[in-house]
Amino acid sequence: MDTQSYFPVPPGVRMEENFLSLDDILLSQERLPVRMECVFPRLGFLEKSSDSQDIPEGTKMELPLWLSKGLYEKKRKVLSVELPKVYKEGWRTVFTADPNVVDLHKMGPYYYGLGSQMLHFDSPENPDIAKTLLQTFIGRFRRTMDSSQNAYNEDTSVLVGRLDCLEKVLFKSGQNGLNGFQSWEKGQASQLTASSLVLNYRKRKLVDVQA
Amino acid sequence: MDPSEVEFLAEKEFVKIIPNFSLDKIYLIGGDLGPFNPGLPVDVPVWLALNLKQRQKCRILPLEWMDVEKLEEIRELERKEDAFTPAPSSYYMELTKLLLNHASDNIPKADEIRTLVKDIWDTRIAKLRLSADSFIRQQEAHAQVTQIMGINHKAVRFISYQQEIQA
Repeated sequence: MDTQSYFPVPPGVRMEENFLSLDDILLSQERLPVRMECVFPRLGFLEKSSDSQDIPEGTKMELPLWLSKGLYEKKRKVLSVELPKVYKEGWRTVFTADPNVVDLHKMGPYYYGLGSQMLHFDSPENPDIAKTLLQTFIGRFRRTMDSSQNAYNEDTSVLVGRLDCLEKVLFKSGQNGLNGFQSWEKGQASQLTASSLVLNYRKRKLVDVQA
Repeated sequence: MDPSEVEFLAEKEFVKIIPNFSLDKIYLIGGDLGPFNPGLPVDVPVWLALNLKQRQKCRILPLEWMDVEKLEEIRELERKEDAFTPAPSSYYMELTKLLLNHASDNIPKADEIRTLVKDIWDTRIAKLRLSADSFIRQQEAHAQVTQIMGINHKAVRFISYQQEIQA
């Protein structure tokens, strides 16, 4: 049985983030290239390249997603966010050409998640970004599903190494289904085995104490 | 749903046995199980049938769909159709495994039946994969999941999670 002792909060769908989801928290650590539209007095220490007391207007910096989302306003008085390389025109054509060859783990382990979050920043290319994300997912889905359902008892590091975090979750769930089914077929599902919690806890057995 | 959970539910299905002992009608929470007389067939749930069989107190009669010709027909129909066809029974995989493991002596041509059921299963799961793929490609918001038994639900759940992500 693959029941867990707690149910982790899953990442948010579409453009939302779940506050309590660990995946979303890690996702929001990703840095985005950002341009300051106004002065930030006395925050010069944040920018390592210049030594001024405050951050002048027009500075280009990299800020994490959680900060950018918080400071961004539609009226654009504070920040303007640029798209990271992976979501720009050049890479988008690569993705539309053949989604399967790209190493999505290298492109930022949270390609889909960060892409969905980028849609918050009202860039004129938003519809294209959304479309590319969707098409990439669709293109890669078949391979992810097939490989997860057919790799039984093998080393999957080669297959998983090129997947984005969302795809890794799907792959893992497919593998769990496959392993569960195979162990049931073999009859191992009805055998009683010591729980991993008990084994890890390494309780002293009465037999050992008495001996 | 775990495969073990599905197997547990499959054991509620009824099967005909011929006991070699006699017992009055027993009244259980799930229902009554008729009086047992040696040599007379009686309907019992699979869990009881297997238990009695292991204690050598009965003989299990094959289910009406567990017949080589019938399964061959079902297999051919499944291969011809693109959509899912009605399965022999909601729990055909589990029942096959349980009955053929414990009572293969009571079921004629057990090995052939096992092969046929595996073929039917392979065809259905290939159809499931194909339909899941086309479902994702066409970005449908939901899919009608008909005629699919327990084990497949795990795979289907995996797929609907992805759809939710991309909707």
